[in-house]
Amino acid sequence: METAKHTENRSGRLISLLTAAAPLLVLLLVWQLAAVRLGRPWIFPPVTRVLEQLAHPLRTHYASGSLLGNTSVSLLRVLIGFVLAAVVGISLGVLMGSARFVRRTVEPLIEILRPLCPIAWLPFAIAVFKLRTVPQLFGLAYTRTVWDQVQLGMIFVIFVGGFFPILTNTLDGVTGVRRSYVLLARTLGASPAQVFRHVYLPAAMPQILTGLRQGLGLCWFVIIAAEMMIGSDSGIGYLLMYAADNAAMDLVVAAMFIIGIVGASLNFLMRRVMHRFVSWKGREV
Amino acid sequence: MRPEFASDANHTILQLDDVGKTFRSDAGADVTALASVDLTIRQGEFVTLVGATGCGKTTLLDLAAGITEPSAGHLRRGSGVRLGQSVAYVFQHYTLFPWRTTLTNVAFGLQMRGIGRRQARTCAMELLARVGLAGFEKGRPHELSGGMRQRAAIAQALAIEPVLLLMDEPFGAVDDATRAELQRMLVDLWQDRGMTILFVTHNIDEAILLGTRVVVFGGPPGRVVRQFDIDLPRPRDRNMKPFTNLFLDVRQALAGGLD
Repeated sequence: METAKHTENRSGRLISLLTAAAPLLVLLLVWQLAAVRLGRPWIFPPVTRVLEQLAHPLRTHYASGSLLGNTSVSLLRVLIGFVLAAVVGISLGVLMGSARFVRRTVEPLIEILRPLCPIAWLPFAIAVFKLRTVPQLFGLAYTRTVWDQVQLGMIFVIFVGGFFPILTNTLDGVTGVRRSYVLLARTLGASPAQVFRHVYLPAAMPQILTGLRQGLGLCWFVIIAAEMMIGSDSGIGYLLMYAADNAAMDLVVAAMFIIGIVGASLNFLMRRVMHRFVSWKGREV
Repeated sequence: MRPEFASDANHTILQLDDVGKTFRSDAGADVTALASVDLTIRQGEFVTLVGATGCGKTTLLDLAAGITEPSAGHLRRGSGVRLGQSVAYVFQHYTLFPWRTTLTNVAFGLQMRGIGRRQARTCAMELLARVGLAGFEKGRPHELSGGMRQRAAIAQALAIEPVLLLMDEPFGAVDDATRAELQRMLVDLWQDRGMTILFVTHNIDEAILLGTRVVVFGGPPGRVVRQFDIDLPRPRDRNMKPFTNLFLDVRQALAGGLD
């Protein structure tokens, strides 16, 4: 009995896996057949050539570096900009949510700057920060590491991309805290500082995490676009553009594939974090 | 036992003289929630406040808890009745922090006082056992049943060793069997701990079953219609003649207080 059930379970899982994978497999098959038949890999590369590129992530493509190297440059830029955006966005959001004066003062400025596409900041950011890198900020001229590719202008644009969703979500979270929880904490002896630490922060946490997830997703969008701009010389977005200029469409599609996978992984990661920490959300009683 | 109360059975815990409360509504109109309330609550009493929904019972509790201030009259709290220290409030809804476990909810007040983690934990575990929730300390509020949540909320309030316990229809949302159990438990706790309870309900039966005194509230605007001292022996039997007589009297007073 036990074994039969086990097998049944396993075959059930196999079937659901196949159902999920089937559209992808069909797409790849049709793509491969069409590409081979067309015979112009510089426009429409066969799947096999894209896979061949993906199988060699360390191969250097002329002056532009490898798939893996450029991906790590992009990721590093995103993580630094995102962490800055998270620190500033959460702090300011909590401050604005708890002090009406701060909110009234800052909100008009925020509302003017928020609709501005982060990419529009790039020329300005590069003009202001030149091509200064993070090591140069600390007085190191050249470290011969991936850090030499982390320009302040890029960080700034990523920061702008992540900052607004994190800020607005944090603000919504803090202002939406149920008054009952604040009153409960006060009657149980919590000081204003303790109410802040033990009520506002945990109660707003689900929305803060939502802001972080949206912010990280947007940061990953923004870095790809920023790296495709003129003046960029590294990153997976740059490699994609460089490959397109050289008619290496197999490399372009391989880069697209990596961008998609990284974006999905970041989102998945953030979802796991949310599920782990705020499983109570929506079940308040 | 607090020494200042042990010897003085007539110690006043809460005294309202001609207290009124007026709110400004969202539309800008003044709404009178309470009009001229006189009420005195003494050490060790279990006062039940019975009245129709919307007659200002909760406003009265909020005043007692210091959540709002009276707009007219005087409200005096006895010595040792200090807000944020010895007045606990069990709400009808949202009585627990949903992001905390049952144990850390009960320990909340102790944590705020800077009591060490281990000591707070020991104390909270004892209280959980006392309210019949041993073994549920790791659960979150949404994993508990309605009755269990109210047990946990009572334990959370008891953790700060309140002199005055305010309760706003705490058993309003549970089934009859559970309510009967919770009522028995609350009377036991009250008898054990010598605290004073102000308990709001719209259920006449519950008011007579629990209280040493039933305050019939009418309105709006809210005011005290009549008070009944209840000296029936405990545990009280709903089917005894004195109980049913009282029930009819309270019901009549309540009906007279409705405008």
